[in-house]
Amino acid sequence: MPSDPPARSRIDSGPFWFTISALGSLGGVWLSDSVFQRYTNPPPRGHAVVLAGLTLIFLAGLAAWKLARAGLYSWLLPLAAINLVLLRPGRSGDVGSWRLEWGVMGLAWTLAAVLVFARLLRRSDELERRLHLEGAFVGLGSGLVAAVVYALFENRLPELRAQWVAVWLLLSWWVGFLLHARLYRWRT
Amino acid sequence: MRNRLRVLRAERDWSQAELAGRLSVSRQTVNAIENERYDPSLPLAFAIARVFALRIEDVFKPEAEPPPVPAAPPE
Repeated sequence: MPSDPPARSRIDSGPFWFTISALGSLGGVWLSDSVFQRYTNPPPRGHAVVLAGLTLIFLAGLAAWKLARAGLYSWLLPLAAINLVLLRPGRSGDVGSWRLEWGVMGLAWTLAAVLVFARLLRRSDELERRLHLEGAFVGLGSGLVAAVVYALFENRLPELRAQWVAVWLLLSWWVGFLLHARLYRWRT
Repeated sequence: MRNRLRVLRAERDWSQAELAGRLSVSRQTVNAIENERYDPSLPLAFAIARVFALRIEDVFKPEAEPPPVPAAPPE
């Protein structure tokens, strides 16, 4: 019986591209923010920093595209959670007259990400779709339990933000996917 | 559900990846079915039987055989 090709090399694996994309997003946003939070009209040196930040964000996008091309869709879930934190929809209040534009941009990015992910899932095979369904069930179930627990201690806990709920759902969906992937010996 | 995927694949000298390509599924799905971790849907089970040119019951067998149907009483 012919042997199957070896498992993905470390350089072409989900964790590798996920790390590149996550670091790119974090570094890019941090560099850009460091300029825009200090200057309204950045000096030439600031332009270079913003350019470096945009390059990192571009690299992050490229790594996310590599994940999608390699069919490693599950890694897009924690990536979406990280980018949701960076997008900071609540930040719209900090930017004065740009509040509406910032909010619309965040919504547009989120809608695009959801549509792309739904399209990718349609292209995956039946076992992978099942894994995502079971993962999403873990996400929704744990979200429900967490919401009830939060309601019990609402008076003593900080105010709940919609962004935290979304990040929780994404991460628990991913954890659920990983747990079920082990059950079916599906390599992520 | 028991299956003879590994044996049938060996008889034809196909790798898991080759069978996965013929079925338009991932190699990991073939691996999960072969190791009896996952029971395929009916359309996929039919597709598997088709690529081996066999009947579905020649590839898949239930864990426990169903009890025999009692013979009709004589009139």
